[in-house]
Amino acid sequence: MNTDTQLTDWREQALQFERQINQTVIGLQPAVRHIILAVFTRGHVLLEGNVGVGKTTLLRAVAQGLGGDYQRIEGTIDLVPADLIYYTYLNDQGRPCVDPGPLLKHGDTLATFFFNEINRARPQVHALLLRAMAERSINAFNRDYHFPHIQVFADRNRVEKEETFELPAAAKDRFMMEINIDMLRGDTELDELMFNPRFHDTDRLIAGVTSSGIYYRLNELAQTVQQRMQTSPKLHAYALGLWKATHQPQQYGVQLSDVEMPQLLTAGASPRGMSYLIRAAKTRAWLEGRDHVLPEDLQAVFPVCMTHRLFLNPMYAYRKEQLLPELIEGILNQVAAP
Amino acid sequence: MRILLIMALSLLGCSGAIDEPVSYFNVETPRPFGYVNGDEIPQRIIIETRSGITLQTGSLPAKGQINRWLNLNQVTVKQTGQRYQIDLLYQVFYAPLEVKALTLPGFTVQLSQGEKSIGQNVPAWTFTLSSLRELIARQTEQGEYMRPDSPPPLLTDTHALYGLVASLSVAVLIAAYLAYLYGCYPNMLRRTVFKRALRKLAGLSKADMEQALTVVHQALNSLNGQPLFFNRLSDFYRRNPQYLQINAQLLWFFTYSNRYFFSDGMIVVAQDLQQLKDLCEQCRKIERGSR
Repeated sequence: MNTDTQLTDWREQALQFERQINQTVIGLQPAVRHIILAVFTRGHVLLEGNVGVGKTTLLRAVAQGLGGDYQRIEGTIDLVPADLIYYTYLNDQGRPCVDPGPLLKHGDTLATFFFNEINRARPQVHALLLRAMAERSINAFNRDYHFPHIQVFADRNRVEKEETFELPAAAKDRFMMEINIDMLRGDTELDELMFNPRFHDTDRLIAGVTSSGIYYRLNELAQTVQQRMQTSPKLHAYALGLWKATHQPQQYGVQLSDVEMPQLLTAGASPRGMSYLIRAAKTRAWLEGRDHVLPEDLQAVFPVCMTHRLFLNPMYAYRKEQLLPELIEGILNQVAAP
Repeated sequence: MRILLIMALSLLGCSGAIDEPVSYFNVETPRPFGYVNGDEIPQRIIIETRSGITLQTGSLPAKGQINRWLNLNQVTVKQTGQRYQIDLLYQVFYAPLEVKALTLPGFTVQLSQGEKSIGQNVPAWTFTLSSLRELIARQTEQGEYMRPDSPPPLLTDTHALYGLVASLSVAVLIAAYLAYLYGCYPNMLRRTVFKRALRKLAGLSKADMEQALTVVHQALNSLNGQPLFFNRLSDFYRRNPQYLQINAQLLWFFTYSNRYFFSDGMIVVAQDLQQLKDLCEQCRKIERGSR
């Protein structure tokens, strides 16, 4: 079987997987599409949204559908890094025992690591996670543990701010995407969610997702996709334009109301961020059945890849929720290709 | 003896001249007739004096009303060495019923030498003043003779006219600036985007396909007010519904452009350029409102 046929088969499987998730968690098609892109690009995902909108359910459904060894931890204020690595207990014989914690339990077959309520954990825990996410390895018991297949899903709710720790910029940058889940569903879907008993028992709902068992081949597939998707010089120029616009939006004619544009940003997108953007765009081109990347691929993933990478001047930070989407929209509306 | 006689005669000749304080005096007056009410009458008095003798300008008649019917409008004294030229300008305000002789009053010009004072009389001067009446008195049947009033003279309006032109120019400039601030010029330019695009396309050949596509992209972008992409055509149609009628051609254009710019192995044929020009012409027709 040649590579093109393989890619087509994989694409069918990916779309089938997407359909299945959309049937389990209804009304979140854009978020599901973004998660699928992150999964097939091998990037980590941070979900943000209000309480009870289905963030955890969505991530559990994706983890279940992908297969692979799955671990989950709840972020709490008293969580320490060691809690991720080992836990101690007394066994039947009353002897103290040390067993591997959630990160080490599955060794190098650890697939999906789900960090619930990540902003409730303290920065020490974030720091440990940084390395696990960026290098796919940690050091414990005097040796390195590698997790070639690890994919971190994290979520946080944006309602509460008490007893939470804002993720540091470095930790945010390691997430490929930050996906906002908003209550933007139609009436039919809301009605379904309220009255259809199928959605009342989350555990049974998740159990209904059949595991595709594709997980451990994702690394290889992602690599193939990245190699096969073509990018033309014009697209390179367009991506460069987008990147520069995240640093100096005013030079591209982006203007927001009541904002001194040169003072708006303290930091634009990082090279890692742009690399994630291009990788996600390639995966999108593949899912759309093309062999080349178009500007619309970049545009489709630009908001989710970039919003958490732009840091506003403290003077404007209190209007972050309003300004960042406007800035992203403004950049996409001003940079032309060709 | 003869020499003594000549000297005595010479001294005799000089003695008279030495005694006269005014060596020359003349009053120059114009014609003494043909004046009417309101006329000005100049009078020039020329006095040449011996050295050391000065004219007392205070003794000249003062500017202003001389009597009931005579005004002195101007008094000018010009001194050249010992020669005084006094110019007086009288104006007559007298309306005689028939020709009447009037007299400019005489006066005495005072000349002084040290504490001594000498008077020089300027004689009165008589002239005749004519009436402004008609010789034949005409009357209507009602016994009245009224001529219509002359129209009032127009005030000079040159300054007002200049002011108006200047203010209008400033107003036009301000209006133009306001239009610029309101963004009217882009709208005007937006109505000719495809005209300009067509002009650029006209000179391009198959080999310049990249340039040709860029020209059309730029035209669509400037019409849209922001870059237009394939996936945003629906927004574009919402803003410019008249372009919906060439939807198929626009779809072709964006698909073609995407393939040309972003994928490999695209072979350009001459028909593509023609199709591009056709699209641009359709857009131009819509722009002009003829389609």
